[in-house]
Amino acid sequence: MKPFDIVIVGGGGAGLYAAMEAMKTNPALNIAVLSKVYPNRSHTSAAQGGANAALGNKAKDDTVEMHIFDTIKGSDYLADQDAVDVLCSEAPKIIRELENMGTPWSRMDDNTIAQRPFGGAGRPRCCYCSDKTGHTILQTLYEQCLKKGVIFFNEYFALNLSVGGSRSNGLIAMNMKTGKVEAFPAKTVIFATGGYAKMYWNRSSNAAGNTGDGQAIAYRAGIALKDMEFVQFHPTGLRKSGLLVTEGARGEGGYLLNKDGERFMARYAPEKMELGPRDLVSRSLETEILQGRGFDSPAGKYLHLDLTHLGADLIKSRLPQIREMSMNFEGVDPIEEPIPVRPTAHYSMGGIDTDNQTRTVMEGVYAAGECGCVSVHGANRLGGNSLLDILVFGRIAGRTAAEEAGKFTPGTISEAELAAQFEEIRGGMHPSGRYERYGELREALGQTLALNVGIFRESSLLQKGISEIAVLKERFKKVRISDSSDVFNTNLMQVLELKNMLDLAETVAAGAYARQESRGSHTRIDFPVRDDSNWHKHTLATLVKGNVTLGEKPVTMGRYELQERTY
Amino acid sequence: MTVSTDQHKEGKKDVTFRVFRFNPQVDSKPYFDDYTIPVERGVTVLRSLNYIKEHIDGSVSFRAFCQAGICGSCGMRVNGLSQLACTTQVWDVLAKSREPGIIKVEPLRNLPLIKDLIVDMDPLVDKMKHYANWVDSTMPEAQMGKKEFLISEEEFLRYDKATDCILCASCVSECSILRANKEYVSPAVLLKSYRMNVDSRDSMHEQRLAELVKDHGVWDCTHCYRCQESCVKSIPIMDAIHGIREDAIESRGKNDTSGSKHAEAFMTDIEKKGKLVEATLPIRTNGVVWTMQNLLPMAMKMIMKRRTPPPPPLVKSVKGIKIFRTMFREMTEHVKQDHKSHKK
Ligand SMILES: Cc1cc2nc3c(=O)[nH]c(=O)nc-3n(C[C@H](O)[C@H](O)[C@H](O)COP(=O)(O)OP(=O)(O)OC[C@H]3O[C@@H](n4cnc5c(N)ncnc54)[C@H](O)[C@@H]3O)c2cc1C
Ligand code: SF4
Ligand code: SF4
Ligand code: FES
Repeated sequence: MKPFDIVIVGGGGAGLYAAMEAMKTNPALNIAVLSKVYPNRSHTSAAQGGANAALGNKAKDDTVEMHIFDTIKGSDYLADQDAVDVLCSEAPKIIRELENMGTPWSRMDDNTIAQRPFGGAGRPRCCYCSDKTGHTILQTLYEQCLKKGVIFFNEYFALNLSVGGSRSNGLIAMNMKTGKVEAFPAKTVIFATGGYAKMYWNRSSNAAGNTGDGQAIAYRAGIALKDMEFVQFHPTGLRKSGLLVTEGARGEGGYLLNKDGERFMARYAPEKMELGPRDLVSRSLETEILQGRGFDSPAGKYLHLDLTHLGADLIKSRLPQIREMSMNFEGVDPIEEPIPVRPTAHYSMGGIDTDNQTRTVMEGVYAAGECGCVSVHGANRLGGNSLLDILVFGRIAGRTAAEEAGKFTPGTISEAELAAQFEEIRGGMHPSGRYERYGELREALGQTLALNVGIFRESSLLQKGISEIAVLKERFKKVRISDSSDVFNTNLMQVLELKNMLDLAETVAAGAYARQESRGSHTRIDFPVRDDSNWHKHTLATLVKGNVTLGEKPVTMGRYELQERTY
Repeated sequence: MTVSTDQHKEGKKDVTFRVFRFNPQVDSKPYFDDYTIPVERGVTVLRSLNYIKEHIDGSVSFRAFCQAGICGSCGMRVNGLSQLACTTQVWDVLAKSREPGIIKVEPLRNLPLIKDLIVDMDPLVDKMKHYANWVDSTMPEAQMGKKEFLISEEEFLRYDKATDCILCASCVSECSILRANKEYVSPAVLLKSYRMNVDSRDSMHEQRLAELVKDHGVWDCTHCYRCQESCVKSIPIMDAIHGIREDAIESRGKNDTSGSKHAEAFMTDIEKKGKLVEATLPIRTNGVVWTMQNLLPMAMKMIMKRRTPPPPPLVKSVKGIKIFRTMFREMTEHVKQDHKSHKK
């Protein structure tokens, strides 16, 4: 294949914005977007809430500066302040840009873009389109990319970078339709493959494919990952699937009850009750379950989110989506019965370590979106800041790669390397004799992560988690692919995704074990307070001779001094 | 027997999934495989398929991603009806199943089959490109991001529902015209085209419309409503189709294409007689020459078989035509008013 100037891996919000911006920056460039699902299927479509920008449409006195402060405070001071500056100052422009391209934002009475309040924000600055914000943003970007004639390789599964010395030669990927392993020689590669919170599997709100493929590929190529231990949990996921019941349910007056029928939030947040901050409510649910006050079921322990006292009318008019979800995925009508819930892994703050221009340590390789870590979210991301992140840094990635592509010569990817890749994924995975089942391993990984590397962490649990992950990695060597076909082998894809999750799980557990403090989403029972003198720094995880090796990177400070985070 | 009563207590039912199988590498034609599994209340078709794939047969192939009804990956036919596997409850389907205890799962129709339940979505994407399913902004690229367009709530509501579309292709699979003509624009693409055409930020309404009125376009639709009935997001697709047609007649004139002429002739007949004057409908739609060339042979055959429609002078008005005409005029007037207030 003719070498590309830019290969973008991922067709979510970050990847598509990068593609558009790169074409705008230099229309002569040869650009390709690879995605394992059709771009419009990407997980960006699941974001309901909205994207933050200090437009000042709703609160006239809102400012970029306030948005910056809220973000830094929300991050528990682990975000890099120069990066947050970029994020928040670019926000109004990028939201208007989307608007100009056709995103159907909901509107205020004065016909400007509508905004609503969101957790952790001092002003109502979350721009939205009903409850389908991510979906409409993704649609707009996909449409605009079709208009610009972006070249898509849909249903291509990225396998690895081809690395020559300190440089990348490009990407190796499998064409799902044919099962062929193909070379994408390229001057530059942008990773935009989304998050890794699905490693918690049915304790996760994420799509099945949010398996951190890009992070795992980069990691295997020797690129450092940053702050992997920070995984955000949302308090109310559905018991069986982990899918999200949005905060709206509690906002309208829903109760959280344990098996004794007690509104247990009285114990943890007597004033705010069910409406306390996300991390606090998540920890409260988890405590109830750990102390034996949860319900039991084959699908695991859970608590009740009770809406029955709100009445059929209110539920039907204000919470129709939640009712539909609960009926579709739990078979429970919230008008009649309480919804079974428990905390669910929702967002990955960590990712591929990049600078503010999205460059990684490997020349010509960039990362953006949930897959990258600039870092703008630090130890805890604010709702509505992630869509913003993928747009702002997706665009920067596209521009930077387009400007820098000229500096590099494209590498070549040999037939021998492709053949070796093919052998690795296809040859090695039909072991004879005793073999391991994919589903069992994946279930075990989710379990061990939820139990040992979950909301509450503690030295002995984390050690247990680390050794269990190691055992799973060993067992994985004997995993069997039960579909032998070349055409659309989804079973093979699942197994490859599991491999990526196993590699990354190791970095999450290692980072969590090392970090002896509690900060943002990372709560250590044995180190319950934030320790700025020892731990005000980023964690780096690099693969050295097959092992996770931890390093550190200072946090870039700016106008805001460290303060205690209270709300 | 004890097993089944026990299962009943737990609220489980044995369900047989009859799954469409086809692997182009080895199969010369498709076949069905049966998988019987216990399913409790609250379990979706997708979860059942996942279970089958993980525990019984890893080669069963289908697409799924969000598992929450938002990404549009898992469109398939469940007991004959195109829908999302991830939002479809097994017990609900069972309750309506013709064969007790059996659920038939097949790929979407009207798109090329790849393997098992997976069809090729590229033809749909190609049509989105062909009909320019994007906003071609009136704002020059260099000016973008500087200021917002001001959009009224009213305008927003015009395309709000249409932007719910998740491109799952259920409507495509159900469309009766697509079965006969794969080049037909497709309901989802009509919906998206309409959504773009009513967006005041867009600048290529005319070109898009010009494309939509050509062959395989909006006039080919038979108004069977199947797309709307099957839409997984309950989008009123027919409003979009009617919207495009009215727009086409309004801005391109009645005599623009055979489609618009046909619609107009239809209206005239209904107003005058309360029913169709079928014999001359083709002439009024396509002109004398076309009719002679294309329909004369068929007309001859019909005459031979004495199945011709009555000649125009013999077509009597239906009973109560006076009242009908008044109602008809009131209705058209009403529709016109409605449109005017919409346009404002
Ligand atoms: C339920 C839910 C609700 C949310 N709500 C909000 C909200 O209200 N506001 C907010 O700001 N954020 C929200 N978020 C977070 C936000 O949606 C995500 O962080 C963001 O959309 C990620 O975008 P992305 O472009 O980085 O990745 P994604 O949209 O996940 O896209 C990843 C892309 O990479 C591709 N890819 C992955 N692996 C491979 C591979 N191996 N080969 C080829 N391609 C690959 C995929 O096909 C996909 O196209 C929410 C998240 C969830 C789960
Ligand atoms: S109404 Fe038209 S577009 Fe819809 S299914 Fe029928 S023929 Fe197809
Ligand atoms: S219009 Fe409805 S059925 Fe058709 S693709 Fe869109 S969401 Fe699916
Ligand atoms: S899996 Fe996304 S809609 Fe069903």
